[in-house]
Amino acid sequence: MSNLVKAQNGAVTAAKSTGGGDTHQYLTFTLGGEMFAVGILNVKEIIEYGNLTEIPMMPAFIRGVINLRGAVVPVVDLAARFGGKISAVQRRTCIVIVEVTQEDARHDIGIMVDAVSEVLEIPARDIEPPPAFGAKIRADFIAGMGKVDGKFVIILEIQRVLSVDEMALLANVNQASPSDPEAIAA
Amino acid sequence: MEEIYSVFAQEAREQLTAMEDGLLRMEQGDQDAETLNAIFRAAHTIKGASGVVEIHHVEKFTHILENLLDKLRNGEMQVSSDMITALLQGCDHIGALLDRVDQGYMDEDPAVAAAGEATAATLRAFTGGAATAEQAGMVEASVGTVERAGGDTAISDCWHISIRFGRDVLRMGMEPLAFLRYLLNLGEIVHLTTLSDAMPLAEDMDPEACYLGFEITLRSHATKEQIENVFAFCRDECDLYILPPNSKVGDYLNLIEHLPEENMRLGEILVKSGAITQEELDQGLRRQKAAAKIAEATEQPTPQLGDILVDKKMVQPEIVEAAAARQKQVQEKKTAEARLIRVQADKLDQLIDLVGELVIAGASANLLAQKSGQGSLVEATSVLSRLVENIRDSALQLRMVQIGETFNRFNRVVRDTSRELGKDIDLVISGAETELDKSVVEKIGDPLMHLVRNAMDHGIEPAEVREAKGKPVKGRLELNAYHDSGSIVIEVVDDGGGLKADKIQAKAIEKGIIQPGQTLSEQEIVNLIFEAGFSTMEKVSNLSGRGVGMDVVKRNIQALRGTVDVKTEVDVGSRFIIRLPLTLAIIDGFLTSVGDASYVIPLDSVVECLALQDDATRGHMLNLRGEVLPFIRLREFFDVEGAPPQRENVVVISAGGQKAGIVVDQLLGEFQTVIKPLGNLFKHLRGIGGSTILGSGEVALILDVQALTQLAGQAEERRASPPQRIGAAMLSERE
Repeated sequence: MSNLVKAQNGAVTAAKSTGGGDTHQYLTFTLGGEMFAVGILNVKEIIEYGNLTEIPMMPAFIRGVINLRGAVVPVVDLAARFGGKISAVQRRTCIVIVEVTQEDARHDIGIMVDAVSEVLEIPARDIEPPPAFGAKIRADFIAGMGKVDGKFVIILEIQRVLSVDEMALLANVNQASPSDPEAIAA
Repeated sequence: MEEIYSVFAQEAREQLTAMEDGLLRMEQGDQDAETLNAIFRAAHTIKGASGVVEIHHVEKFTHILENLLDKLRNGEMQVSSDMITALLQGCDHIGALLDRVDQGYMDEDPAVAAAGEATAATLRAFTGGAATAEQAGMVEASVGTVERAGGDTAISDCWHISIRFGRDVLRMGMEPLAFLRYLLNLGEIVHLTTLSDAMPLAEDMDPEACYLGFEITLRSHATKEQIENVFAFCRDECDLYILPPNSKVGDYLNLIEHLPEENMRLGEILVKSGAITQEELDQGLRRQKAAAKIAEATEQPTPQLGDILVDKKMVQPEIVEAAAARQKQVQEKKTAEARLIRVQADKLDQLIDLVGELVIAGASANLLAQKSGQGSLVEATSVLSRLVENIRDSALQLRMVQIGETFNRFNRVVRDTSRELGKDIDLVISGAETELDKSVVEKIGDPLMHLVRNAMDHGIEPAEVREAKGKPVKGRLELNAYHDSGSIVIEVVDDGGGLKADKIQAKAIEKGIIQPGQTLSEQEIVNLIFEAGFSTMEKVSNLSGRGVGMDVVKRNIQALRGTVDVKTEVDVGSRFIIRLPLTLAIIDGFLTSVGDASYVIPLDSVVECLALQDDATRGHMLNLRGEVLPFIRLREFFDVEGAPPQRENVVVISAGGQKAGIVVDQLLGEFQTVIKPLGNLFKHLRGIGGSTILGSGEVALILDVQALTQLAGQAEERRASPPQRIGAAMLSERE
């Protein structure tokens, strides 16, 4: 059921970002030397990295939580989420606050990136469908490959990348205990 | 518009609850006329309100219900158990109609309508049977009809105002028209008749005097007092009569008699204004006067006032009594309204949020004041923080509701279910006045329902089995609520067969929940019923036993940061104990730190604090005045980096009846903790109950001590099989 909802959500955003022939704006950032982009409509703000509270017993890709003007917002280490190593905090490390919609509820989630680059306009005709493999990250995390100055930028399917259900399930496995039947079911 | 409907539905639901309560009480043998009156009033209010918001199918259906109730009230029929069942079904149907209204549909759902038709037919069958009896009775008992004259309610939902301005009103500089205009502020004037009967012949007329009177039908939600206040300035100069909406026909007749104009003329005005119908007027007059004269009465231009006055002596006591009762009722309702204010829940939530921010801001001001070292500033902020604390407590109090309302719903559930099952079961409620957060109350209904139904279906045995066991034939189900150290405890107790450990174990093995060789304590086996896909009853009934039972209950309760336990004894009964936090918003916490991170321990669970002395510990236990106290090193448990400081502290907590220690680096003292939920991402995280924001702006985590001790126990258990350490074995035994 929840997969179905997710799939629908994904379809909607995909249609939004690739459909039409209009030009959409994307925020680009670097992560482990590679360039990524997210639709600007998903981005709420960009803040400096710091004042993070770690949450124990959680998988490595959940870095912790921050206080965003009175709201507690989780921060996800994108590199670790993609299966890579935990990113080290550098001078230009930022947290991009992204809004994701899941089962009619909105969540703010921070993503930790190495550096934020710029806002780009990428016309729909310059966006290629994601390759079946070879991008080093899961194919369903990719909404498309944007061509910018002859180079490819991975446009992220952010609803999928930051799927709360999936991440929560991963977190649960991490804390798996015999008394919790869902961990086994999952 | 939307709002009107939702308010209507909400109010109607309250009336429905009142009706249901009354009906159940009547079934249990409550013969009090007031109970019946209360039921009737509730039905009538729903009917009136649905008419006002123009949801006619509700009005129509309630009317049928009301007819039957009216018959009961007038003593024309006797209450029977079947009748109450039918009436309760009627209530359910109204509830279903209201659900539809809540969903925003003003029309009737065809499926519901069909069901309603059946119920209506049952209800009509009762009334129909009585109607013939009534006709027969009419001839013999004229006393009965007199009673009805007072009891009949005119259909008008409008206020009726009769005002005769005094002669001097104009001279005193007041204009009648201005009052009427002002009246429009309160509502809509449906009908208005100007009476100039007092006007003398032209030569006798004083141009400065006022001879006018008005009969006004006003549609308004104002109170009688408000309407009276409109005329406050000329109150002494004029005759003012106000009849509330839905007044009895008798009251209208009474009014007619009190007014100086000719009775018939007034009667006609009332009929014209829609306050009463011609038939009602005729009937009323017929009943008050001697019989058989109605035809002439309508034609006869001036029936003598004296005639009626003579009759009045006969009728008066009854009318006066009815009027007095109504007056009292209105007054009671008014005082009840004055004591209660209906506030939208989200406004309250917003207030709580703001208070939460205030607490955080206050904490930060406190911190700064202490850093500055200025005595007067520290004093000022401490006064401030005390006030903030008071505000916090009263704000939270606003959201507290008594659990009684939730409990009372089960009267009906138990009644219906016990009939369905053919068991005789008594419900005993205690602690109904225990208060807890509204948001908790809303969410506890479903789990409770499940437990209650389970207890009745699986717990309490059929009568013959009970008899054979030498127990009272009547089953007993208890719902208890009480406060216990910062949490509220709700118990569902039955005196049934109890849970049979061997049966549960066999079932669990069959379902693959546990392995055949596994040795478990009795309590652990009993707790297996909370596992997913577990149901012991061989026979699946429509009440429970679909295998989606206890695990859902447990999960719902855990979602409220609560726990559920079961204590059971074979052939004596079972006791399900639900433990819930009092509030979901703000708690008193005890702030501690480990490394750089701060952790809040709910103050209610803290017993004492002491310094950790290495020589007194052994494994993960310490000697607390001769008592064995297992403890958790938070630093180890949470993998906090860095070496422990020289001196560590132990916070002794008590959770779910057992004591444990939590070893932290530093104790930072009491802290008002505004709970910020961690969100869905962390919904499976156990051991951490939420987060809060410290005065410094940092986020601190709130420990869920009970889950934490369980987790620690489980972790040890996993490591300890095969047992490696004495401490681990002892710990797992405690679990």
